[in-house]
Amino acid sequence: MVPVWTLAASRVRKEVSKAGVPLLGIGAAFSFLLMMFNVPLPGGTTGHAVGGTLLAVVLGPWSACISISIALLVQALMFGDGGILALGANSFNMAFVTPFLGYFIYRAIRDVGKGRRAEYAGLAAGSYISLAVAALFAAVELGVQPLLFRGAAGLPLYFPYPLSISIPAMVVPHLAVAGVAEAVFTVAIFTFIRRVSPGTIAAAPKPRLRGLYAALAVLICLSPLGLLASGAAWGEWGTKELGKMLGFVPAGMQGGLSFKALFPAYAVKGVPGVFAYVISAVAGAAVLVIAFKLIGLARRESRRKARMSG
Amino acid sequence: MLPDWLLREEEYLPKPDRDAFIDRSIGSFLSLLSLFRRQGGKSEEKLRINPGVSLASTLLLIVLLSLARDYLFVAYAGALLLVMLSFCPAELILRVLKTSLPIGAFTFLIMLPSSLWGNAPSLVWISLKVFLSVVAVKLFVSTAPWESTLRGLRIFMPRLFILVLDITTRYLVLLGELSLHLLRALRLRSVGRNGGKVASLAGVAGTLFLRSREMAEDMYAAMECRCFTGSYPLGGAARVSAADLVPVALDAASVLVFVWARTR
Repeated sequence: MVPVWTLAASRVRKEVSKAGVPLLGIGAAFSFLLMMFNVPLPGGTTGHAVGGTLLAVVLGPWSACISISIALLVQALMFGDGGILALGANSFNMAFVTPFLGYFIYRAIRDVGKGRRAEYAGLAAGSYISLAVAALFAAVELGVQPLLFRGAAGLPLYFPYPLSISIPAMVVPHLAVAGVAEAVFTVAIFTFIRRVSPGTIAAAPKPRLRGLYAALAVLICLSPLGLLASGAAWGEWGTKELGKMLGFVPAGMQGGLSFKALFPAYAVKGVPGVFAYVISAVAGAAVLVIAFKLIGLARRESRRKARMSG
Repeated sequence: MLPDWLLREEEYLPKPDRDAFIDRSIGSFLSLLSLFRRQGGKSEEKLRINPGVSLASTLLLIVLLSLARDYLFVAYAGALLLVMLSFCPAELILRVLKTSLPIGAFTFLIMLPSSLWGNAPSLVWISLKVFLSVVAVKLFVSTAPWESTLRGLRIFMPRLFILVLDITTRYLVLLGELSLHLLRALRLRSVGRNGGKVASLAGVAGTLFLRSREMAEDMYAAMECRCFTGSYPLGGAARVSAADLVPVALDAASVLVFVWARTR
């Protein structure tokens, strides 16, 4: 979460005007208070909304990230109801995943649809989906613990329920109740602000590569899920697997390439499996980014040389 | 001469409606504001412990507690926290227990199904750890007023962040009171069956947002008029005194006990 916060701080300083500091503090207070509203839902139930997508749309995703993180910090430190050690994970789910995912879904639907209805549809879809995905992340973070942390007797040290329980337990209530509260409340507040003070909703600049980096970050974080899939991916079978599946190994494949990769099966000796997996994902992504940047540089240099000589 | 309709008996019976959400929202805002009022009156502390040291000690205890692998350290932490609680006034003890006991019980309930497939030892283990962690944090929060906590956080964060936190807490009170007024107004105007419940609540939240924007702009204008240049001198650096040796010594003891528990 630390790189996200550092990036958010520098981005906010650039994007938000000089009035940034008070707005961040007051935005944090607003996001905190938003979580205290009891939203009435059809059927007589009530729910609470986080407002991540709403904040991302009206304040910008980076400012929303910082505001919600601060609200979570205040909740943990000032009220002492727990949540200090979980602050990083909570911030990741509620201050990073929810605003960014919600914002990008909103922009995508709004730009494709064009018009008021598309805007509201984007808001509803963005807030609903981003909250459900945040719940999914939380469920994974919890459910992965019995896999990672086991005590002497092999019993889970912390959260005891595996993913098969934690995912439906977390995601279903969010899909059924909380997501609906979030979507309904977000659209309603946005409608109100639009009606009363339309100038407040600033037109945010088009996100360029930011979306790509965000998606990359999300994929890297999801990569340990690959560890849970046993067996090889479709089409990536080795000769042994093929032999089991078909009963024989095709002649052409028997004497084929045997490529000894640097990190065979994404494992590094002495480092626990999941850690190595994520490291491989990060390193792999970084290597690709570096490679493309170097290629871009080489292209620019050759173009410059061509211009100078021609 | 009074008109006829004025002389007629009023027979209006408002229809019942499900608007508990207004009262529940009012309730949550009231509890927030009462917490602030409680915090505000507490500036005298028995022992002048530097809040930064206090915060670091609390965090250290929570981290060690979560890393502990057997009951030795948990027992030590439990004893330590009980001794600390025993030094506190009765209302504080009640307040701390009122939050931590339900949280511990809730954890126990959630973990209960897992005991069906042989996870029974974890049941007490985790619930106890959670209970003790919450007691530790609640003790810290109740004995260190928010302003000193902010000053203590200086070790962990850049000054600008502390400025933002400071603004956040002040505006939590201001915006919280505004929300309360708006919700009470909504409550008074909710007679009989009302449609558009979500829209009304969204109006409260939306008004809150617009007021937040205005307040932010006003605040920035005021800061600029007073020559705010981005630096935030935290007045009155919290001093490190002899009383701070107590938490430091306790921290050292905790680390020793933890290491001993791990290596034996």
